[in-house]
Amino acid sequence: MTETDPFAADLLRGNTDTIVLGVLRGGDSYGFEIHKAIREAAGGDHEIKEATLYATYRRLEKDGLVESYWGDESQGGRRKYYRITDAGRAVYRARVAAWVATRRIIDTLLNVKESA
Amino acid sequence: MNTHIHRLLDDAFEGVETTAESRELKEEVRTNLMARSAELEASGLTSASAAQQAIDELGPIEDLLGTSGRSEAMSMAELHARNKVRPQPGFVVRTTLLSVGAAVATTLAVLAGFDVLSGGSAAVLGLGLAAAAMLGFVTADSLRQETSTNYPMPTARAVGYGLATFGVLASAASFAAFAADTGRVVLAIVGGVLLLAALGLFSWLGATQTNRHKQWVRTTTAGSGNRFERDEDAAARYGIYSGVIWVAGIGVGIALSILFAWWWSLVVLGVCIVASMLLLATMLFGSKAKANN
Repeated sequence: MTETDPFAADLLRGNTDTIVLGVLRGGDSYGFEIHKAIREAAGGDHEIKEATLYATYRRLEKDGLVESYWGDESQGGRRKYYRITDAGRAVYRARVAAWVATRRIIDTLLNVKESA
Repeated sequence: MNTHIHRLLDDAFEGVETTAESRELKEEVRTNLMARSAELEASGLTSASAAQQAIDELGPIEDLLGTSGRSEAMSMAELHARNKVRPQPGFVVRTTLLSVGAAVATTLAVLAGFDVLSGGSAAVLGLGLAAAAMLGFVTADSLRQETSTNYPMPTARAVGYGLATFGVLASAASFAAFAADTGRVVLAIVGGVLLLAALGLFSWLGATQTNRHKQWVRTTTAGSGNRFERDEDAAARYGIYSGVIWVAGIGVGIALSILFAWWWSLVVLGVCIVASMLLLATMLFGSKAKANN
């Protein structure tokens, strides 16, 4: 079990960009909410580090896949919201298609049985 | 409100160089940490330990600031060749046929409008609407294509642009039909309504448009910009010099016209244009090395 954990975490981390784009497809969101959505989906077993996520937002924004804007003043400060762009949606679709194709190949190569 | 967060955040950012970027990041992290520690407090932690856990979960600050410098020096042409996307053959054929069809329909509509062909305003309207529909489809179809520089537009948005294009062209067809037969006021009304609706749709689409450029285009265009964009003083000086040249030119032109002949003002105009061009060339491109220092 201890050996598989870093492997699974690596796989998850390798797809951070696509995962964040996937969360933002559902609507604009801010750091805490995005992190929470990922944490809950991962079931607490493996999670993506928050620091990694901040680096991801900055990279995605630099590449034009997301846009950011500051929300209204709430208690304690303003939230920085992220919105997916049309380019971001296109990249998301391409990455999902690539993932589905690659998953099939790896399943075949590793002799994974669906019910196993 | 958890005040421990502020102290811990200040500690974490100690030693980090204060830039606009790091300050913005700190504010972003602050609101997210407050939300996380509020969540932890709700699950029974004290405010101090909730704040500590929230900031521990964050990880090292250096990771947040770590910039991924992927700057390969490649020329625009090389990048373009590497990212080249060929147009789909089906798209090229569709667009060509529809454009020819639209051109034919427009020509026939004009001929009908001038009574070269029979049919009158009904023919103008029908042919005009056909051309509008074809060009609207071409617009939406083009936006759906991936190009070397842009990703394809989402279908709904592309259809919106296609409809708006159709609306503008269809309103032109309605107005043309009205011009052919001014008795039918309803055509002018329909044209006006279509035009307003199409302009409204264009405005909405424009206001909600997001980035569609590919990453390589963004990185190559970022940071460039001409001298006037980098150096505002130079732009201001250029404006003043231009003003001086043209005010002096107008003055001299008027004086020469009164003293000698009107065509002297044309000579002065020519001199002013040449002087403006030379000024633009020297100020925008001439001192590139100096501007970069």
